[in-house]
Amino acid sequence: MNTAPNMLSETFSTRKQDAAAGMSQVCSFYLGDGLYGLSISHILEIVGGARPEAVPLAPPFVAGLVHYRGDVLTTVSARKLLGMSPLEGETPDLLVVENDGGCFGLIVDSVHEVMTVSAEDFEASPSTVHERSRTLFAGAYKLKNRLMVMLDHERIDPLKLAKGN
Amino acid sequence: MDELTREFLIESQEGLDRMERCLTDLESRPDDTALLAEIFRSVHTIKGTTGFLGFKRLERLAHSGENLLGLLRDGKLAAEPNIITGLLALLDGLRSILHNVETGEGEGEGDDAELIARLERLQQIKLQKDDDARSDEPEIALTATQVQNPLLRMLAQEKAEAERQAEAARAAAAKSEAAAANEPARAAAASAAESTLRVDVALLNRMMNLVGELVLTRNQVLQATAADPKMTLLSRRLDMVTADLRESVMRARMQPVSNIFSKMPRIVRDVSQLLGRKVRLEMEGQETELDKSLLEAIKDPLTHAVRNSLDHGIELPEVRAAAGKNAEGTLKLRAAQEGSHVIIEVSDDGAGISAEKVRNKAIERGLINAESAAQLPERELLNLIFLPGFSTAAAVTSVSGRGVGMDVVKTNVEKIGGKVEVESRVGKGTTLRLRIPLTLAIIPALIVRTLEQSFAVPQGALSELVHLAPEQLATSIEWIENAPLYRLRGQLLPLVILDRMLTADNSSRKLEGRDVFVAVLDADGRRYGLAVDGLADPEEIVVKPLSAVLKDVGLYSGATVLGNGDLALILDPGAIAAKAGVTLAAEDALVQTGAHEAEAAGDRGSEYLLVEVAGRRAAVLLNDVLRIEQVPASRIEYAGLRPVLHFDGQLLPVEDAGGLLGGAHSEMQVIIVVCRDGNRQVGVAVTHVLDVAAGSDLLEAGTTQPATGVTLLKDHVTGIVDLGSIAPLPMLEQQAAASWQEPGPSYAENAQ
Repeated sequence: MNTAPNMLSETFSTRKQDAAAGMSQVCSFYLGDGLYGLSISHILEIVGGARPEAVPLAPPFVAGLVHYRGDVLTTVSARKLLGMSPLEGETPDLLVVENDGGCFGLIVDSVHEVMTVSAEDFEASPSTVHERSRTLFAGAYKLKNRLMVMLDHERIDPLKLAKGN
Repeated sequence: MDELTREFLIESQEGLDRMERCLTDLESRPDDTALLAEIFRSVHTIKGTTGFLGFKRLERLAHSGENLLGLLRDGKLAAEPNIITGLLALLDGLRSILHNVETGEGEGEGDDAELIARLERLQQIKLQKDDDARSDEPEIALTATQVQNPLLRMLAQEKAEAERQAEAARAAAAKSEAAAANEPARAAAASAAESTLRVDVALLNRMMNLVGELVLTRNQVLQATAADPKMTLLSRRLDMVTADLRESVMRARMQPVSNIFSKMPRIVRDVSQLLGRKVRLEMEGQETELDKSLLEAIKDPLTHAVRNSLDHGIELPEVRAAAGKNAEGTLKLRAAQEGSHVIIEVSDDGAGISAEKVRNKAIERGLINAESAAQLPERELLNLIFLPGFSTAAAVTSVSGRGVGMDVVKTNVEKIGGKVEVESRVGKGTTLRLRIPLTLAIIPALIVRTLEQSFAVPQGALSELVHLAPEQLATSIEWIENAPLYRLRGQLLPLVILDRMLTADNSSRKLEGRDVFVAVLDADGRRYGLAVDGLADPEEIVVKPLSAVLKDVGLYSGATVLGNGDLALILDPGAIAAKAGVTLAAEDALVQTGAHEAEAAGDRGSEYLLVEVAGRRAAVLLNDVLRIEQVPASRIEYAGLRPVLHFDGQLLPVEDAGGLLGGAHSEMQVIIVVCRDGNRQVGVAVTHVLDVAAGSDLLEAGTTQPATGVTLLKDHVTGIVDLGSIAPLPMLEQQAAASWQEPGPSYAENAQ
């Protein structure tokens, strides 16, 4: 669990050089059957097998607390955000996201891979997407055989979400 | 900003802080040459370095100040109040330029011509006086011939000079003796200067975090290796080293309260001049140490409190004289350590706070309605001054009276886990007491279980624990509508059922078929019982802050990682009381009846815990009992022949008078009453805990002396366990246990 993120971060730095040519890196992950993505520029670490500790009376989007490098991180459940039922039977993965206001965790079903995508394949969310979800989406990348929906790292920050409620 | 400039800023600010202290001292001892020399040095150093770094504006200002100080130092001018005021203005001028430099704006655009002119004018006055004074000097008495004889003249001058010097030396010696008596801390600080080192606070914070991590890891190691005898020695060593390291890092963050007290003489001087008060400031316990972050946090509240005392507390000199008091008021600042808290008191001998006035004002401001105000006891009325928007001053002054102040004091102090109390007697004065925790980072806590989760309850708020077996529930928990109550020694105690509060379940469904544990909590004077499903061992927890989103839930003050690696939320007893509607008024009734009970108990004698040891009854003074543990007999280990209990990092010597442990097989549960004996803790092995009862003194026949060692409990003569007779463990382990358990007192010992 500890070695994998380090290897990933190495690949991040070598791949970052591509960014100049309209390319960027995205961490892709699954939520149910859907493929979603988050730009790696704001991901500090990918941690496998997270077991967030529930916080009674917390806002519904909060998945709980996790212990991360000496700090206690508030995590957001990506499934709850998108109105999906909770994950059954599997241990989810955790993305540690860093924003200006601080860090938070995003709980996803499983991390797929870190991929390089081209700006040419990007399109904004179509207007038919449900209003509530659309505010959380930055747009989508058209991959060869499927779509990858991009989450907006700022809009899924628990501080932002709490204000929105 | 380059290294040199940063260094210069730090040094200059320290120099100016020193100068400020000296200036206010100078006012009471105007001819203390040591003080003048100190002030001169501060300004001189600034001037020297600024020239080097090219800060022209600073240099000019410092230069004109130096001229004036030079005259003062050489005794050519007396340090009169107007000169001290001028020098304080110079200090402020220098500070504001330094502030500009610090924020990266260079020296700023201000014009110091006026201030420089003022300092020069002060020098002129001095020179004129100097001329006048010269006529009194001894050489004037010399005759014309003597004057013409250079040798004689020189001799006479030397003689006069020597006399003057001897005089000055005597005066200085007397002054410095007085100064030394007043300020041992400062003298020590000066001599310590060479053996100290500046450390970035960020680095200390990081060290504190790492030590916190180490404490967590230590807890986990201790739990994981508890069963393995080979690891015991190693883990105990790890335990000791960790405790030592933690204490050292915490001490590194400690600073004496004199760091903020030293700002007060200036504030008192300025404010009392502004308001026409005559005030003498007394300070006590300046060497008391407090964590740096806490010290920063109480700076503003303390300043508020001092201003408030000067404005609302101490009366004008004529009013005081008319009331038969000394025209000069006394403002006292006192700091002292009490256990794991530091108490800071601001007391004045002013007019005091009239409860009646407070009541009327609170009603007038609409902070409380007339009916409830009428019911409030006096002590509660005084607490109304902490409500936002409350101000009793007849007029708004520039010092205070805008209705902000006391509520700011209270919120700021509570933010860091402290408490504020006020005591006042009309005509006699007011005392404001700030109670500040020694450190925020690591606190002892009781771990409770509810909803299959662990929660931490700070032990500071915990007064006792009650276990209710399933069959007792129906009878011992009573309900008034939806409010559960527990009868604790005859008093009704409001209960907060934790799982219901956390699931927002308001039903009055009875609790059934399970064990319930009630933690009796006292949060800011609100007393209630927190009903939980289970208890785990107490632990020293490292407080981790929560994100704003979770703080807004309003029940948690932080989170922590437990020894078993689980995360636990730290419950905020005050917030839970507020949310559950446990009011202060209800509490007050309880406290009052509690007090009556205590008084009644006082008549009969102290309260005892009645236990049974191997068929015999014995009593332990209830005040000495910390908690009661039930552990498997296998947990008892032996240090030599002495049974000990290794418990959460502490080593308890266990007294086994009844020989219970010898006969127990390893799965058997034994009950250990953990008691306090002075600074140490000891365990007493007992067969059963029977009851709590008030004992009566027994007079030894034929004497009027109460017999020692026995008491009358429930009409039986019962022996009292003498905790003092329990032999201490070998030195090393005892120390480790003590330093780990009570960091507070051991600081005090080390500091002396």
